[in-house]
Amino acid sequence: MKVASKGHSLFRIDNTRRVWFSNSQDKIDILETNSKAETRFMVSPSWPDTLNLTLVSPDSRTVFSLIIINKAGGLIYNKTFHEGGLNKISTNDYLVLAGTFHGVHAITARLNPVKPVAPPPTPGTNEPPNRPEPSSGLEVLETENFRMQCFNTLTGTKFLLFTETTQTNVDVTIKRIYDLYADYVMKNPFYSLEMPIRCDIFDRKLLSYIREINNR
Amino acid sequence: MSSLPSSASTGKESGLRVPSNGKTIYHRPINRTKTSELSQASFAFLFSEMVAYAQKRVKGIQELEHKLNVQGHSIGIKLLDLLLYREPARTQLRPQNIVALLHFIKQNVWLHLFGRQADRLEKSTDAEKPDEYMIIDNEPLVNQYISVPREMSQLNCAAFVAGVVEGVCDGADFPARVTAHTVGEGEMWPGKTVFLVKFRSEVVEREAFLAKS
Amino acid sequence: MSYYFAIVGTQDNPLFEYEFGTSKQGGDGQSRFTEQVRHLNQFILHSSLDIAEEVQWSHGQIGRGLTGGGSRNGRYLKCIDKFFNNYISCFVTGGNVKFLLLHQPTTPTSTASSRSSTAIGANPTSPATEEAIKMFFMEVYDNWVKAIMNPFYKANMEVRSPIFRARVAAAGRKYL
Repeated sequence: MKVASKGHSLFRIDNTRRVWFSNSQDKIDILETNSKAETRFMVSPSWPDTLNLTLVSPDSRTVFSLIIINKAGGLIYNKTFHEGGLNKISTNDYLVLAGTFHGVHAITARLNPVKPVAPPPTPGTNEPPNRPEPSSGLEVLETENFRMQCFNTLTGTKFLLFTETTQTNVDVTIKRIYDLYADYVMKNPFYSLEMPIRCDIFDRKLLSYIREINNR
Repeated sequence: MSSLPSSASTGKESGLRVPSNGKTIYHRPINRTKTSELSQASFAFLFSEMVAYAQKRVKGIQELEHKLNVQGHSIGIKLLDLLLYREPARTQLRPQNIVALLHFIKQNVWLHLFGRQADRLEKSTDAEKPDEYMIIDNEPLVNQYISVPREMSQLNCAAFVAGVVEGVCDGADFPARVTAHTVGEGEMWPGKTVFLVKFRSEVVEREAFLAKS
Repeated sequence: MSYYFAIVGTQDNPLFEYEFGTSKQGGDGQSRFTEQVRHLNQFILHSSLDIAEEVQWSHGQIGRGLTGGGSRNGRYLKCIDKFFNNYISCFVTGGNVKFLLLHQPTTPTSTASSRSSTAIGANPTSPATEEAIKMFFMEVYDNWVKAIMNPFYKANMEVRSPIFRARVAAAGRKYL
């Protein structure tokens, strides 16, 4: 049994509880792990006699929850997809979180230096004058256990997605959620702007999309 | 027949504005061109506003459904002639009995409006109700983005489509009352809708008479 | 040959009327109705509505040649009525609006009798006349569909568009 490299290395554990190395054909059986599918391990440098795999993070790509904040900083949607990923807090605390984040986001956007403007178009042409890129403000917040990504739409609605720290493609996920919002919330005649979102079809489509990601 | 005021022929100022090149709608062919498909998103927004507009002016759900029905009705009347016109010349015929009319609606009207046929056509099994027919759509396009709030669960916005169907029936001289009902079928078709077509008694009578002759 | 064309709505209400003469065989396109007959025309046309309604629901007894099957009826009902020297042809649209054309052949005593015997309209029930009237109706129908697709047009409203009138006149010149 050999280990191709030491230190950080990428492994894959299949459903027969066997470890595959990403950079060689070697494989080993493992005794203990609490992971599900793909994960990162640290290999003890003192090996080769005993293989000591330390789980750096529990595997998985789990989307924990979604929060939507309207442009005034009010919480209009809050959904938890995965129990146990985050602690439960009261609805009131969620409202405070939404309002606080909204404020912090606004301040950080002001901190962000504005990019230099491209030179104005030559007079006589019909192009509209260039405008500076809006400053983005706070985008990612990371703790030991979760990562929060914020997507701010052009109209000021914010989508906050709480995921595991190893989650990839959060941008794509969040854009897709924005799509669903544009379709099933904005095109619904019974939804009034800036009010809490209560749309069955949106819930249904969102749940099935997130379930698809969490079970991958 | 009362006489029309024949002022039109005497060349009175009509106040009609004609495009500068003189090409009005009458100079353009009426047949379908390839680019005639519309954006579903723009329709969804338009329909959403239509429902919101109707909702502001009514007191109850029934009234709202009636408003939507009326909005669709005039479309149905006009669509009937347009679609018959677009039929190939040999089959440019008027539907003359109930089944022919309903098939025309299920196929031509649905295909024109929604790009596919309606899912099913049924006759009421109740012998007491020979005047009732059902057009079934598993997933009405108009309802695709609409979540009806719980307190209005009776409402089905496809009442608009019911109005179109009613317009086609009325236009073809088969006066009927058409209503839309949600009959969700589990996870598969939560928005399944039945359009109940109830013809007036004289239509059924005429049908029986024509069948005999 | 003089023609009187009228469009009648579903409530038997007039929506459009137009009077013209033949343009074939050197006709000047002017009708030759006398003032007295002009009023009578409306009555004649109206009285034929009952027949039109009967024919449109009958299973092609008269329009047999046009009906494809039993379930659908052709819309061109051909010549459905005759009142002395006035012949009435009818066309029913999908929306049950009736196009009625009254045609009055010039009396055979006219000087051009030898020539007009072969002309359209001299024999109001000949296949050639039927075909010509059908073409006329189809062209009017084309314009009619465009007229009713106008979002400001409601069913059974009078059609006032001068362009529609001009198009009907053009169809008359072309085929009759």
